[in-house]
Amino acid sequence: MTRLRIDHATKSFPAANGKETVAVHDVTLDVAQGEFLVIVGPSGCGKTTVLNMLAGLQLPTSGSVILDDKPIAGPGPERGVMFQDYALFPWCTVSGNIEFGLRHGPAGAKLDATARRERVRHYVDLVGLVGSEEKYPHQLSGGMRQRVALARLMAIEPAVLLMDEPLAALDAQTRLILQDELLRIWGQDRPATERRTVVFITHAIDEAVFLADRIAVMTTHPGRIKEVIDVNLPRARNDATRALPEFQALTQHIWQSIRDEAYRATVA
Amino acid sequence: MTARFAQGWLLPIALIATWQAVGSTVQNPRMPLPSKVVTAFLRMIADGDLPMAIAQSLSRVFMGFMVAASIAIPLGLAMGHVRAIERNVDPLVESFRPVAAIAILPLAILWFGTGTGAAVLIVAYAAFFPIIINTVAGAKRINPTLLQAAATMGLTRMRTIRTVVVPAALPSIGVGLRIGMGVAWTAIVAAELAVGAKAGGGGSGGIGQMMFVFYAYSIELNRIIVCMIGVGIVALLLDRLIRWALRAAMPWTAR
Repeated sequence: MTRLRIDHATKSFPAANGKETVAVHDVTLDVAQGEFLVIVGPSGCGKTTVLNMLAGLQLPTSGSVILDDKPIAGPGPERGVMFQDYALFPWCTVSGNIEFGLRHGPAGAKLDATARRERVRHYVDLVGLVGSEEKYPHQLSGGMRQRVALARLMAIEPAVLLMDEPLAALDAQTRLILQDELLRIWGQDRPATERRTVVFITHAIDEAVFLADRIAVMTTHPGRIKEVIDVNLPRARNDATRALPEFQALTQHIWQSIRDEAYRATVA
Repeated sequence: MTARFAQGWLLPIALIATWQAVGSTVQNPRMPLPSKVVTAFLRMIADGDLPMAIAQSLSRVFMGFMVAASIAIPLGLAMGHVRAIERNVDPLVESFRPVAAIAILPLAILWFGTGTGAAVLIVAYAAFFPIIINTVAGAKRINPTLLQAAATMGLTRMRTIRTVVVPAALPSIGVGLRIGMGVAWTAIVAAELAVGAKAGGGGSGGIGQMMFVFYAYSIELNRIIVCMIGVGIVALLLDRLIRWALRAAMPWTAR
């Protein structure tokens, strides 16, 4: 069952020289209910633009973006976004940030103060921030801020999670742990109808293979989808998954697919 | 520590000593001297005149300041958040801004008489501009992803203003309030001096009017200097008070 659909979407911006810069060219993607879709690609390939169109923060110049058969005209709480720079509110404590959407948005409308606090406590616990609830963002390390952003996204329990490089700033160990956590929260032990729908952006290929049901590989100039790869590694995935030959083969395949461009981007 | 402290006070003490030494040679009973200023200061505190005058001026400053803040902050937020409002209001603000507070005195007196009303109007006018300009700047400088985050959480426009725009602009609003309080206190002295002149030494009250009486009627230079020192000390205390209040209101900016 298709949940989210990007249909021949193109996004261009007016450039300084009066011409148009095409950020994303003719992208078509279907995301099924409960699917974990990962978009990988070198920097500048328009990954974030695709995510912003799904979030409704940017509208396509041509083509359409559809959620449950209705065109997306703007942002909404059923599509939670985790931003690349975390977008934490500096004047709110850790708890205050996690509670923010529940308290001020429609997601927490049915919750009273006690239920809200209970939910916040649950997610504080989940991302390992117990003891830091009353700290302000400027008092936290980059990794801790990222956990706050993750907990804030989870706390509103959106049907669709849109995540823009959510684990990029973490150290390698924390990153592996949170990948496991993310799959658990997504619902990898449950049937697809009970899972959240996730669109996840990363530039880390191994992370993409570990998490994804499908991987969309993007390429630059203009940003477009080069190929879509099914990841048929068994669920539930765990540390043993990373050692499977199929895991290695897929990682290698995707690297081959984007290495020329990645080299060009790095050397040029 | 002691040595540094002494260094810091070296110049002021030298200046006061020079003033006393040179002033003593002037054969004029009206020549103000540090020793006479101290005596006058103690007497004016003892008889309650100085505290009374300062209290009256302060109450006018607070009234005018509250009026200014309660108009400038909401209007400034609206201007910073909605382009159309800014485009309409900004030319008005910028064309009145160079008009000194004291220049609206004739109107203030004609409309409100020579009492508290006119003084409050002038103070409010003076404090209005720094508050609104800093509020607009604060509301505009907000990190756009914070607004996007609020939008993706489904916040309404009004809720976003209250829970995101206001706190994001608060440090800048605080700067405006500090500057506004400074110019409010400057304006009250000028306003009371001028209102005092119009009232002919009558009962408009306040520190400025007191200075006018010492200048135009009893001609007491030492007491005028006491008033000047009082104005300076109160200005310093007001600034410290407002900085403390702002720090208490913004715990996330503490380092």
